Amino acid sequence: MSPVPAAAVLASLAVLALAAERTWIVAAIAAGLLVACLRAPRTRRFVYLAGTLVSSLFVFVLSPFVSTEGSHVIWEGPRVPVLGLLDVTSEELATGGTQALRLAAVGLAFAAYVLLLDLDRLLHAAGFARRSVLAVGLATRLVPTLERDAAGFVEALRGRGVEVNGVRGRARLLSPLVAGSLERSLNLAEAMEARGFGRPGRTRAPSPAWSGLDRIAIAMAVLIVLAAIWA
Amino acid sequence: MGLVRIDDLTFSYPDARVPSLSNVSLRIEPGEVVAVLGPSGSGKSTLLRALAGLVPHFHGGRFEGRVEVDGRDTRRTGPAELAGRVASLFQDPEDQVVFGRVAAEVAFGLENVGTRPEQIWPRVHGALAEAGIGHLAERRTETLSAGELQRVCLASVLALEPALLLLDEPTSQLDPHGAEALLDLAVELDGAVVVSEQRPSMPLERCDRVLFLEAGRIVLDAPRGPALEWLSANRPGYLPGEAATLGDREVDGEELCRLDDVAYSYLEEPVLRGVSLAARRGEVVALTGPNGIGKTTLAKIAAGLLTTHHGTVERRGRACYLSQDPGRYLVTDRVEDEVALGVGGDLGKARRALDEVGLAGLERRHPRDLSSGERERLALASVLVTDPDILILDEPTRGVDPPRKAELAELIRRGASHRATIVVTHDLVFAGEVADRGVELGARELAHA
Repeated sequence: MSPVPAAAVLASLAVLALAAERTWIVAAIAAGLLVACLRAPRTRRFVYLAGTLVSSLFVFVLSPFVSTEGSHVIWEGPRVPVLGLLDVTSEELATGGTQALRLAAVGLAFAAYVLLLDLDRLLHAAGFARRSVLAVGLATRLVPTLERDAAGFVEALRGRGVEVNGVRGRARLLSPLVAGSLERSLNLAEAMEARGFGRPGRTRAPSPAWSGLDRIAIAMAVLIVLAAIWA
Repeated sequence: MGLVRIDDLTFSYPDARVPSLSNVSLRIEPGEVVAVLGPSGSGKSTLLRALAGLVPHFHGGRFEGRVEVDGRDTRRTGPAELAGRVASLFQDPEDQVVFGRVAAEVAFGLENVGTRPEQIWPRVHGALAEAGIGHLAERRTETLSAGELQRVCLASVLALEPALLLLDEPTSQLDPHGAEALLDLAVELDGAVVVSEQRPSMPLERCDRVLFLEAGRIVLDAPRGPALEWLSANRPGYLPGEAATLGDREVDGEELCRLDDVAYSYLEEPVLRGVSLAARRGEVVALTGPNGIGKTTLAKIAAGLLTTHHGTVERRGRACYLSQDPGRYLVTDRVEDEVALGVGGDLGKARRALDEVGLAGLERRHPRDLSSGERERLALASVLVTDPDILILDEPTRGVDPPRKAELAELIRRGASHRATIVVTHDLVFAGEVADRGVELGARELAHA
């Protein structure tokens, strides 16, 4: 499938996950997207899946304490100034679970976009706002680059007998990582300018024509969004 | 009229106290191959950037004189407008790659310069085939080795069919065969080629003319023959050296590092299988072999940075490893603090190590303010300061000019008597100068290294 119809399907699934009222629909979308993400190489998918899981769990755990809903109390805690009585009801847990699933579905849709779609082809297909699309593409590659740089710093430090332990040790690497990524951006900007980026009269390499499957995917994406709006 | 005309160019980077180029005048004719030599910081890269229009448009600074390329004054014509007629290949391919897929990367320049859409893919595939990497068209750029990536960058500039090709140390990450193949491809281009290199033998074999820069001035501009005579009389370190056959000198010292039958794989791809290596106190071992054969992996296993999947590793004493990327030694805000990291903050030791590598006087500078050659030496000082029993240096001559290379060889030999030293290198001349014996990693030799 071409990347544009695939991106449209992923976006429509994210919209449906946000709009759907039934939890099983949201759960089904999240499960389907998780299966899709598992097709990506293990080393690449770990960061995205772990990030999605942690943020969803955070929403699930926090949500019952900041909402007041339902009468079936499962746990009653102390009264806290400003927040009031801390209790957890089964209704709050159900709502928290749905919200966490929504976040997971949206996160997994983004993960599938980054991990499975050919961003280069997506960029080539973009007929407008090419600079913005290019910026998004470069930003997407920033995470693995930073990961590689961080591993390189740690290895070079270990190579001279300095162990990097704990949060403090790793925090020390933040500043050189940021400085390094700024230096890299400057070098990349120079190389891009030397290759004519920004010059008027740019052309576009032809993209392959859409297949029947691509057209079906686009139609499906439109239908999913319409269903999300009217259902 | 020539392709390039430079009249009395003087250029200083912003905040620089001395100009990087002083009163440079130069003509280059179409089809000429010009080798630009000179020590680190002599202005070679700045000259190439001036020819691409990046100086002054991208870097700013004070620009006096006139540079004309293909009849266009670079003060009025920016690098993006010169692109296509002028193409640049820089030292580090990692910093040039924009896209995630090889074919898209090569198409990027063609699209920017307004190539007709129906011509783009044929030219992309033509350039990839010319660079010998047609099979990589659909590969992800992050999965390529440094050598493959540099060939992708070369294909990107070849696809543009430029009138002037500028190569700024393009072979620093390549093994000798890869470097020769890349330069052969570049000089076959119909246009003029200007190549700056720290390994001068290869461009000197292929050029029509030689420029030698020192402190921003051209001290030699001559055809190849007379230039070789001048180099022989005045700068013999830059003459092509004979790659010595690596010997097998016996050293009696205690064995400090021994790897037996080791194997290592990245994901499912085996890199090393059945490799053995030993180093004794007082011995310098050169580890050579083509790109991607596993030299760095073996060096990291020897240093204890990677754990072998099979076989045994024995070390007596402390091992230290110098990474081939000097950008990894820029963690602190001051040069002396960076070096002191490995010795628990002992600034006295750090200053002595800096003095030893020729960086005395720069102790309080920010490491990122150093030139690339100075960064290489900072990395070396950061490792040497720890005075390890086992010293492992991964490509220590990358980006180092010939006079510094001779100093580095002397420095390694000086400390060799009380430690075991393993030097991973593509530079066979350097290996011959510094090593007691060589171990060549290759498909055939893997089991016997």
